Amino acid sequence: MGVTLTPPTPADRAQAARERREIDSSCRGPVLHYAASAVAWLLVGTTLAVVASVKLHSPYFLTGSEYLTFGRVRMAHLQAVGIGWSAMAGMGGACWLMCRLSRATLLYPKLLHVAAGLWNVGMVANVLGILAGHGRSVEWLDSPPYVAPFLVASIGIFSVWTAATFVRRREPHVYVTQWYILAAVFWFPVLYLVTVGMIFWVRSTGVMQMVVNWWFGHNYLGLWLTPMGVGAAYYLIPKIIGRPVHSYYLSIIGFWALALFYSWAGIHHLIGGPIPAWLATASTVGSMMMFIPVIAVAINHHMTMLGSFHVLRYSPALRFTVFGAMTYTAVSFQGSIESLKDFSEVAHFTHYTVAHAHLGAYGFFTMVMFGLFYYMIPRLTGREWFSARLISLHFWCDAVGISIYFVSLTVGGWWQGRMLNDPNVPFGNIVEYVRPYLFTRSVAGCLMGVGHVAFALLLVANLAGWGRKRGIGPAYFVAPAGKPAAGEPAPV
Amino acid sequence: MDRGMVIIVGALLTFASSWLGLVLLPYRQLQNQQPYTASPGDDPYPRQLSEKALAGVGVYSANGCLYCHSQQVRSARFGNWWEGGEMKTGADIRRGWGNRRTVSRDYLHDRPTLLGTMRTGPDLANVGSRYSPAWQHQHLFNPRSFNAWSTMPSFAFLYRREPVEGGKRAETALRLGREWTVNPGYRWRPTDEEWDRILASQPGLADALKAANPGHFDVATPEGKARLLDFWLTTEEADHQVVPTADADHLVAYLLELRKAETPLPEAKE
Amino acid sequence: MTPTNLAILATIVGAVVLFGAATVLAMGWAVRAGQFENFDRGARSIFGPDEPVGEPTDAFPRETD
Repeated sequence: MGVTLTPPTPADRAQAARERREIDSSCRGPVLHYAASAVAWLLVGTTLAVVASVKLHSPYFLTGSEYLTFGRVRMAHLQAVGIGWSAMAGMGGACWLMCRLSRATLLYPKLLHVAAGLWNVGMVANVLGILAGHGRSVEWLDSPPYVAPFLVASIGIFSVWTAATFVRRREPHVYVTQWYILAAVFWFPVLYLVTVGMIFWVRSTGVMQMVVNWWFGHNYLGLWLTPMGVGAAYYLIPKIIGRPVHSYYLSIIGFWALALFYSWAGIHHLIGGPIPAWLATASTVGSMMMFIPVIAVAINHHMTMLGSFHVLRYSPALRFTVFGAMTYTAVSFQGSIESLKDFSEVAHFTHYTVAHAHLGAYGFFTMVMFGLFYYMIPRLTGREWFSARLISLHFWCDAVGISIYFVSLTVGGWWQGRMLNDPNVPFGNIVEYVRPYLFTRSVAGCLMGVGHVAFALLLVANLAGWGRKRGIGPAYFVAPAGKPAAGEPAPV
Repeated sequence: MDRGMVIIVGALLTFASSWLGLVLLPYRQLQNQQPYTASPGDDPYPRQLSEKALAGVGVYSANGCLYCHSQQVRSARFGNWWEGGEMKTGADIRRGWGNRRTVSRDYLHDRPTLLGTMRTGPDLANVGSRYSPAWQHQHLFNPRSFNAWSTMPSFAFLYRREPVEGGKRAETALRLGREWTVNPGYRWRPTDEEWDRILASQPGLADALKAANPGHFDVATPEGKARLLDFWLTTEEADHQVVPTADADHLVAYLLELRKAETPLPEAKE
Repeated sequence: MTPTNLAILATIVGAVVLFGAATVLAMGWAVRAGQFENFDRGARSIFGPDEPVGEPTDAFPRETD
């Protein structure tokens, strides 16, 4: 911290707080629309996840119904959590972050309501269509053909709106979070259109579809969810603990390295497959280069936190965000190593990869989004969360749940891979070996489900106005030991 | 950075680089691939799927078979470590999943390409050469009628259980004991009381079963009765039969035409 | 060398030249435009008089009021 600032006068403070509050309340309608929809899709996706998971170790569970056969539920789950929850949580958060960081009030709220509505309609058609038997078995793109127009229209509106808000900015500096959001709202629509075009419209030959498929599947995480998650963490961590980012220089390196290398990483999913060998090699190089942005972001997030870990005890948003940021480092290192040929020979085609995918999409992205919601929603509704105990329950269920999930499938999946590669092990033995691990995963999934229900309760209560009214000032509600509470709401 | 344009242009360029490298280049490399003809006059390989099998692809993808079954045979040199005094190499081929590795040409006509990323179940690239249509139907109807350890879902919803008309079974009817057909998708077993009632209502049943299954057991004891029940459960229902729907027929037609790792191809040699 | 291979080679070389040049230009612009200066201002831009550096801004809500 180079410069020392003169302490702001009470009048400055009040003025700045009024402006911040004005921006926050302008975001209220559309952002809550996105957030509430996202949580609804999270619940749908979690239910589908538990059904699919139980079916893998207990095949007689709900076996009579064609709508609930494993393959359909598996597709519907991925769409509900991947395209429903993750994308909507990310877009809602991006909306608010963009307004705050641009110091611009939200314009055209109706337009955003239309965008969120279109996405929701698309998602209803998506999940119901898949269960009814219109799924297409293209990983990440299972949605029936009639879904794409809704999603494209929705993201089109959203991207243009984001750009328009950015252009209207009153804050001269463009903060790291904004770089990530801007890039993401540009990358995703282009990526989606190109992929859908090359797989379903142009109809590329045979394996080419798989190449495009994995280019998309990996970039959905790398160029859409990751920028949203990392961007949100770049705002939340410094903001909550009240300390600027450790090294702004590193954040620039991290951003451009991610832009350059992440988009090259996807094809390592096809190592050993019937594709030109140079493709997988190029992708492995891209995956290894990912160490650069990941280390840059890791240093920034963790060094900023250094010395402020006690705040984790007081701030729910920080707890989730830091959990997510730490997982991001871990899962990215794991991902780079997984792209190596010798490693991939065992891990590919097994539950090991499923564990890795959930560590990324859940342990990192979803946890950061929970952190963002805990911080953002009280500022939008003007109400506190009504129960600290439910927040704790949510955190511990999710943190313990994803840990059990990850460990059980990583261990089970690794040995599944070793046995698959040993031709002397009969296939039935492998199926029976993996079963207890899959059962453990179901337990973990239920635990995470309990956390999600707690979160949904908190959200509904907050939207219903059940919770203490917030004051105008900043929100350090409970004074940490030895510190006065700043901005306490005036007694009514 | 104070300019949005820099970010947009930069994002565009990095994105374009990966599209060019990972999508456009392989697209151009693969787009002119042709079917293989060993000598003039031979059928080109791969063949187009039959109309029935094409419909089967639809059933396969609508039900997400891909999420447990891959369709790619990895190289004979794939995997290599020493364990228990043996080199572990080329497991896919040694498991009998195909005679050779699959290469890009094997997927020339596939739409969508169902390569898969998970092997909860075995690889299906060459499954057509391994099983008969009857086996496929019975296995789809209830996989546990073959392998008790199987966790594959039952696809009984692709089959119809119907009364036998005029005492004549359909040719396509599954030849499966009543334990599997009474409650399609599940394994049915009456309780002791129900079994007593069934025996009482059909006076000749016990004797007929005993005559058909010679052995020393006393029908009067509970063990003997349970053994009799086991025999009875493996006999077919007389008044009901299970027949495949069109979807099941299409799916099996597709499975039977999955013979990707059979025809020798020059580029698949290693 | 087949025409396809030639075309691929040309694409690769062309792409390397194009993207290389773009990178060099971008770096040149960034240095000239002062993108590598005054990082501190950027890092502090999210704080303001109401939520200054040094003050945490989030905590668990009180159970009772």
